Amino acid sequence: MAKLSQLKLRGWRPKLRTETATSDPRAEDEAQGISRRSFLAWSGAVGGAVALVSVADLGMPLTRTEAAAASGTPGGMLGADKTVWNACLANCQSRCPLQLQVKDGTVVRVLADSTGSDEFGDFNIRACVRGRTQRQRIYSPDRIKKPMRRTGERGGGQWEEISWEEAFDTIASEMKRVRDTYGNEALWYHYGSGSTGGNITKRGTWPRLLNTYGGYLGQYGDYSTAQITAAYPYHYGGWVSSNSLEDAKNSRLQVMFGNNPLETRMSGGGELAVVQKTRREYGVRTIVIDPRYSETAVDVSDEWVALRPGTDAALVAGLIHEILAQNMQDQAFLDTYCVGFDEATLPKEAEPNSSYRSYIEGKGPDGVEKSPEWAADITGVPADQIRRLAREIAGAKPAAITQGWGPQRSANGENASRAIFTLAAVTGNIGIAGGGTGAREGNYSIPVKAFPLFDGETPPVTTQISCFNWIDAINRGPEMTALKDGVRGKDKLDVGIKLMVVNASNTLINQHNDIHVTQETLRDDSKCEFIVVIDHQWTPSCDWGDIVLPSTTNFEEIDLIPGASCSDMGWAIYGDKAIEPLYDTKTGYEMCTEIARRLGIEQEFTQGRTQEQWRDWLYEETRSIEPDFPTKEEHAAMGVFRKKNPAGHVVALKDFREDPEAFPLLTPSGKIEIYSQQLAEMSKTWVFEGDRAGDKLTALPEHIDTWEGALDARDSKYPLQCIGHHYKGRTHSSYANLAWLKEAHPQMLWMNPIDAAARGIKNDDIVYVFNNRGKVRTQARVTPRIAPGVVSLPQGAWYQPNHNKVDIGGNVNTLTKYHPSPLAKGNPAHTTLVDVEKV
Amino acid sequence: MTQDKVELGEKLGFYFDQTACTGCKACQIACKDKHDLPLGVNWRRVVEYSGGTWRQEGNTFTPNVFTYYTSISCNHCENPVCMQVCPTTAMSVREDGTVWVDEDKCVGCRYCEWACPYSAPQFNAESGHMSKCDLCFDYRQEGNDPACVSACPSRALDWGPIDELRAKYGDNAAVAPLPDPSITNPHLVITPHRDAQAWDSGTGDIANPKEI
Amino acid sequence: MNTHELPMILFTVIAQMSVGTFLVLGVIDVAVMRGRFKDSATRVVEPVLYAIGPALVLGLLVSMLHMNDITNVFNVFRHWNSSWLSREIIFGVAFAALGFATAIVTWLRAGSVALRRVLSAVTALAGIALVWAMSQIYYSVVTIPAWHTAIVPLHFFGTTIILGALAVGSALMVTAAIRARNEPKPATKTTTKPAPTSGFAAMVKGRIAEINAPTSADEWALTTSIVRWIAVVTAIAGLVILLSYPVHIADLAQGNATAQAAAAVFSGGFFIARMVLLAISAILLAFFAFSTARNTLRERPGWLVTLMVSAFVLAAIAEIMGRSLHYDSMLRIGI
Repeated sequence: MAKLSQLKLRGWRPKLRTETATSDPRAEDEAQGISRRSFLAWSGAVGGAVALVSVADLGMPLTRTEAAAASGTPGGMLGADKTVWNACLANCQSRCPLQLQVKDGTVVRVLADSTGSDEFGDFNIRACVRGRTQRQRIYSPDRIKKPMRRTGERGGGQWEEISWEEAFDTIASEMKRVRDTYGNEALWYHYGSGSTGGNITKRGTWPRLLNTYGGYLGQYGDYSTAQITAAYPYHYGGWVSSNSLEDAKNSRLQVMFGNNPLETRMSGGGELAVVQKTRREYGVRTIVIDPRYSETAVDVSDEWVALRPGTDAALVAGLIHEILAQNMQDQAFLDTYCVGFDEATLPKEAEPNSSYRSYIEGKGPDGVEKSPEWAADITGVPADQIRRLAREIAGAKPAAITQGWGPQRSANGENASRAIFTLAAVTGNIGIAGGGTGAREGNYSIPVKAFPLFDGETPPVTTQISCFNWIDAINRGPEMTALKDGVRGKDKLDVGIKLMVVNASNTLINQHNDIHVTQETLRDDSKCEFIVVIDHQWTPSCDWGDIVLPSTTNFEEIDLIPGASCSDMGWAIYGDKAIEPLYDTKTGYEMCTEIARRLGIEQEFTQGRTQEQWRDWLYEETRSIEPDFPTKEEHAAMGVFRKKNPAGHVVALKDFREDPEAFPLLTPSGKIEIYSQQLAEMSKTWVFEGDRAGDKLTALPEHIDTWEGALDARDSKYPLQCIGHHYKGRTHSSYANLAWLKEAHPQMLWMNPIDAAARGIKNDDIVYVFNNRGKVRTQARVTPRIAPGVVSLPQGAWYQPNHNKVDIGGNVNTLTKYHPSPLAKGNPAHTTLVDVEKV
Repeated sequence: MTQDKVELGEKLGFYFDQTACTGCKACQIACKDKHDLPLGVNWRRVVEYSGGTWRQEGNTFTPNVFTYYTSISCNHCENPVCMQVCPTTAMSVREDGTVWVDEDKCVGCRYCEWACPYSAPQFNAESGHMSKCDLCFDYRQEGNDPACVSACPSRALDWGPIDELRAKYGDNAAVAPLPDPSITNPHLVITPHRDAQAWDSGTGDIANPKEI
Repeated sequence: MNTHELPMILFTVIAQMSVGTFLVLGVIDVAVMRGRFKDSATRVVEPVLYAIGPALVLGLLVSMLHMNDITNVFNVFRHWNSSWLSREIIFGVAFAALGFATAIVTWLRAGSVALRRVLSAVTALAGIALVWAMSQIYYSVVTIPAWHTAIVPLHFFGTTIILGALAVGSALMVTAAIRARNEPKPATKTTTKPAPTSGFAAMVKGRIAEINAPTSADEWALTTSIVRWIAVVTAIAGLVILLSYPVHIADLAQGNATAQAAAAVFSGGFFIARMVLLAISAILLAFFAFSTARNTLRERPGWLVTLMVSAFVLAAIAEIMGRSLHYDSMLRIGI
């Protein structure tokens, strides 16, 4: 309140002419009989006491952010019937509250969060460009309005409307038939992230239905982090984050390998806000290593190191070579906490000269010294720059080394991620304030109870394949083995995938590598016999369903929405229903309940609860773990509940650093395994054959020259390395169909002026991007912001083939290869070679 | 010639922190959502300015490049050329110093669109009139920030009386690709990006001409 | 070709041609006021005057296409004290109204000759003001380098002179051709003095017959003399415009990036075609017209008619192309 009165003193009142009634929306509102008083009364009731005070003080317009910080009132359109809290749900790892203004049952305006401030731990969680486009999404012409059933061949584009009854009956009978014929492992719940961030409204209802029905073939990994996730257990014993980005304020230097929070964590209450504020207030020196001059590099970096995609492990080797040459490594840390950096700490089973130092010094099996010159040739980073960087990184104590998920999303991303972990170890930065593990930054989150996917300790089926491997499981399921295909829980699959539930997922076509392979696999409906797609937008994946069900958006449902990543701030959002379900749409919970009834498992599925009662249960459960979590009623009034990390900042592996004996890692040695004996053994037993011959596992985080890698490009028919960065106008493929966003962020191919000039291409020219797998038509963004020899076709654009099978939507997966990575069997999205020509 | 039509009041304007902008365009979309603007009409736009070269030696390369964004709506200029050229007086200045277009007078001749070096007046084909930023007149009346200002995830925007903004943030609006500020005296203050180029340097190019 | 700005291209070119026509007629009127052609002048010049009106009205109508909401069109006068567009419209309307009045009084032989001359002079001034205002619309936009230059008024007045002169020349020739059809019937003495009859229709009919009556020897001599002068004036104006382009381009090329980009507009096939057409029409054909006029017989004006009309049509195309380039060069500084 003191702050308010100070503001009042220095506040100012705009002098406005009100004689022109037509230009004064308030006059219009009043003319429509909506009094200002009733609006204020409403906002006071919802906004709570603080809001009442500031709103009552209307004579005094506050300025800018202080206003948001102080008031908590949404502002917005006068005369709206109500303003409702909900959130932008998509897989961006930010989670922005939204306030939807509703008039006559229609969302008429979308406002951002109006609570919180500009302070760490209390950020006003301002939605990015995508969240602010919700109105276009809710009322998109692509909304699915009725249940649809395919009439021609699969993928043929012929459909008929059916009733919900018929849809439910068909799905239930297909589930029963497939389960009875092939068993539960023939059922598959497809990977996807179109409703990530929701709780009940997330995709959880369908897995719960399938689990209640005896389970389905499980999956591990994800399309974002498969390789690093698979690498963690061998290096750190399990998933480890780095320190929080807020903790970088304690750093002398911040090094970001392919980490781009300003584009991939775009919320004003996400890492974007953290990184910018840390930079602004603490001025921490920052180096960004990325083939693209990313927004993070543009705004907060002191130095941009441009390297070729897929060469991070080579760069790290070159850096460590120089660090060793200068004797700047933290040898005590390596000796105490790590295995296999030096010969002395190798496990006894290891061959001689198999340490990382031997690898660097050229004493290992390959006999190649990993000098800065060697690294320069591969990475493109000049050797002098590598030497300078090495000395700077090793000399800055502490240094926060993090990696994004771009480096690991490549043909041997497992090694790239472990190499960056290794740099953090060599510089002794692990487990200390201002340091980091070389992994992705850590975050605090409130343990909001999740809608249960199954009852009990484990799901009924524990057999798993990589989430990326489903194409193989459809084509040759029973041939898939543990050693060849990374099958977990069994030595081999007994049955292929026969029924797919594809919910809030565009991974059926759009987001999966090599769309042509996918199409051919799905077209044959004797392989996968039944596909049901559930979505609220008719995505390219819907084209390949047998039945497509129209779901509500989360704005047509209720939920308790957990926050996402924002360093040391946790939060949760009250998910309120803004409007009634549009068209003939239903909620996921309603759909699954109907199908469960037909399968005779309704009680088990619902536990006798409605969606509202499930939400009540989520509040109860959350409050039992987190006593200061608000009640539903309190949460409804505040909209957003925030909590600062009680432990201060996330400092990953702090315990281990302080006492490695008492807090060992879950690796076999209990230490950081730069050399992994497990991987050494697996490298002898795992099988790579067919087009995957030549792939390999290595005990050390070596650089591997992979298929379609940086060296392969030099004598390839397709000489440009193509990556697919995350684009600001969409979250993966979510929002990619909305006109406002396509206008603001049109699809384009980034290419360096040197490569463009060689092909006679100018900025905004229309080009073909092509290789032996496919062809895309898009516009060129000729920009110095990308390394020569590299192009980027931002991922997520909707696949749109024309009559010549040229994808005029510009989807990068028209070009990428279906080739699971060696350890994770993950998605190597950024390993693709192409060429470009002017149309 | 036009001074007689400008009653100087608060002289409201915008502040923009070029060091923080990521080009996400939340400002542009928040504005579109608030004012229900159709495609092709963007009262606020974000321009990307890039330049520089690469040095290649053997298989290595070294960038010497720059990029930064500038989010621009109407700067409610002290010397609004849009208003001077408007034949109808539809384009005028309010007492608070904001430039607005009276659609009841506008004939849609688009002369202001030619003249404004910030592309602030935007032709709305649906109405046949020009349209532009009114600095969220109704929001301001209620004491709230303009939609774009409260939208920016990077907190790169601020607004208020230009004198206050200049006292707080300095007085620089002479950053490429914006024009020489002496032409219109924009009510705009920019904290330049570390690589910001002077308005007359000609060192870079607008990377996204079709988006503005 | 800039089709987006086609209404503006046609409007400005037609309006300038109308003004130019009026100016050329005025000059002829003044030049022959006291000479031996004193009596022939009216009958030579008058038909041309009647042709301008529809052209300008057409031009103004076309300009309306540029307004996207013509319901508010009367607001365009409001900002006369600041906007050159307002001024253009004011002078445009004034010129049209005055031109119409001049035509009416000439037709009706109303008022004294002196009054008609004063009215013509005022109309001419309004026309000059119109072309000036038009050019200032573009010149005053300081944010567009290719427009904020003296080249714009130079080109606008160049168009005015070339098309005005050639339009007059063509109109004279067409009139002569029409009159030549009546040639077999020997010219009567009533050509300059029709018998007044009662009734408006009879008057109109009489005036048309009067206008269409065959050309006299004096009239023909005056006509060819005018054509020769028109050829000279056109050639000079054409040469000035042709030579102005290198200056314009060099000027822009030395400017900022926007100006340099604008300079690039004045290159390529379209630009060359515009220059060649202008050279052919304004200089080459005018030169032929100049030399042909002396030897062309009143009874067989065919070749000279063809030359003059071709020159006019080609020059009009050249000027429309030039104006298209003018709008193409609208590259603004800033964003």
